[in-house]
Amino acid sequence: MFSKNSKEKGIESVLFFISTLTVLILFLICIFLFRDSLLLFKETSLLDFLTGKFWYPTSVNKQFGLLPLLLGSLLVTAGSILFSVPLGIASAIYISELAHPKVADFLKPFIEILAGIPSVVFGFFGLVVLVPFMQKTLNLPTGQTALTGSIMLGIMALPTIITISEDAISSVPSTLRQGSLALGATQWQTIYKVIIPASLSGISAAVMLGIGRAIGETMTLMMVTGNAAIIPSFPGGFFGPVRTMTATIALEMGEVPQGSAHFHALFAVGSVLFIITFIINLIADSIKKKYRFKVG
Amino acid sequence: MTKGVQNVSQVQIKVDNLNLWYGEKQALKNISMQIPKNSVTALIGPSGCGKSTFLRCLNRMNDLVKNCRIEGKISIEEKDIYGPDVDVVDLRKKVGMVFQKPNPFPMSIFDNVAYGPRIHGADRKDLDSIVEQALRSAAIWEETSDRLKSPALSLSGGQQQRLCIARTLAVKPRTILFDEPTSALDPISTARIEDLIMDLKKDYTIVIVTHNMQQAARISDYTGFFLMGKLIEFGQTRQIFQNPQEQSTEDYITGRFG
Ligand SMILES: Nc1ncnc2c1ncn2[C@@H]1O[C@H](COP(=O)(O)OP(=O)(O)OP(=O)(O)O)[C@@H](O)[C@H]1O
Ligand SMILES: [Mg+2]
Repeated sequence: MFSKNSKEKGIESVLFFISTLTVLILFLICIFLFRDSLLLFKETSLLDFLTGKFWYPTSVNKQFGLLPLLLGSLLVTAGSILFSVPLGIASAIYISELAHPKVADFLKPFIEILAGIPSVVFGFFGLVVLVPFMQKTLNLPTGQTALTGSIMLGIMALPTIITISEDAISSVPSTLRQGSLALGATQWQTIYKVIIPASLSGISAAVMLGIGRAIGETMTLMMVTGNAAIIPSFPGGFFGPVRTMTATIALEMGEVPQGSAHFHALFAVGSVLFIITFIINLIADSIKKKYRFKVG
Repeated sequence: MTKGVQNVSQVQIKVDNLNLWYGEKQALKNISMQIPKNSVTALIGPSGCGKSTFLRCLNRMNDLVKNCRIEGKISIEEKDIYGPDVDVVDLRKKVGMVFQKPNPFPMSIFDNVAYGPRIHGADRKDLDSIVEQALRSAAIWEETSDRLKSPALSLSGGQQQRLCIARTLAVKPRTILFDEPTSALDPISTARIEDLIMDLKKDYTIVIVTHNMQQAARISDYTGFFLMGKLIEFGQTRQIFQNPQEQSTEDYITGRFG
């Protein structure tokens, strides 16, 4: 009896239906998102939306300029990368190459727990601890700044970066390590001249996914960045409040009249966000594929 | 008791009462031997008898194994390599190693060979000639001279192994350890590497682990037979193969076990 019986076929079709369902849902979300976004352009041109410097959605002279929100998101994300990437990679190297296996086994669950903490809890911690700290130590009018957001986001992106980089580093065959050491290389030379280059694509994928996680984060940022929709300067903008795209949608969606221009503008912001994360994931994915090919 | 080779002109590696444990398990038992300079010494024996373990003692690769403990003495060029003043980096420069599976780094052919000299601080302007010379000595220059910038992983398995030999030669060791260097290769690549090894003994002392009796007989001057962590017999290859002193050696060589 080698032919599939009807029960197996039944299970197979159920699984097929479920897996196509996710594709269908994604497709529907895209349609709704883009359809409502497009309605905005009856009132504002695409160019005005993308290059507008002011987000005044409720004033008499309504303006829906994306720039302050986009730059706010990018600034906070860039800041978070600046410290989460070196820290994450360093931790990954420590865990996979240097730490005693027992120490590594001890650390890993904590990193996973860090990944599982709800963002509102991070936000709460940021608001109560980091915001006053920043205000005092940097002597700022408010501790709710882009930098505060960056630090919180960085902490939140760390687990992603660490776990995926560590995966990439551990999958470098040990024969390469031995080959390098047998040539008289020290452990550090082996790490930075052989191991890291060999796992670079995996590490880059980790970084991209970390960025993806950061740019889509909402709740924490809403709680610690002050939410002022002004175009941040660089690098001074780090020390003042900003408003990200995600926070804007979350803050305003509840109060906006359905079908209004403002309503559609928020959808347009959502579309931009969607496109950005989509591209980032695409890049991460293609890097990951390349890296599997190389190691496998 | 030193099993040995009489009238050796010059000893390169001298092992005295070497014992080695992996945790509780003893993998090498009381091994003593003297490996002559500028010769090829083959180590044979059934799987798990400790050949690789012994080889890894000679460049201290066993240092990487967490619960490995060593007793006894190994001198290379009359220097105790487990002595307190020994720099492992320096030892591994002088005692190179080629592994069973070709393990080129995922970088260009040139960078693979230049890797060792670079980490040991070779002058940038000397690199080209060091690399060329190493590739020539490893008999792979002809095949690679026009593609030094291409990835090492684009070479065939046999070419990769010769590249790994070149990479080892570039560091200018005096002893080279080979752990079954041809077991993953086809017969033609194997023959090329055997020729190469016989050629290299002019300038290097070579110790090679092999499962291939014909290979040991063909290329080695001396042979050591290991069994269950002990060195059963060590002597000139011709003598070991034609007139073994121990029954187990004869049984192994003639294929009656192992
Ligand atoms: N890292 C290690 N930890 C614990 N035991 C080990 C380790 N490496 C080797 N051993 C054990 O030591 C013994 C000798 O192993 P070794 O690899 O030296 O054998 P070998 O003669 O090279 O075998 P083969 O011909 O299969 O390569 C084996 O019983 C093996 O299981
Ligand atoms: Mg072995």
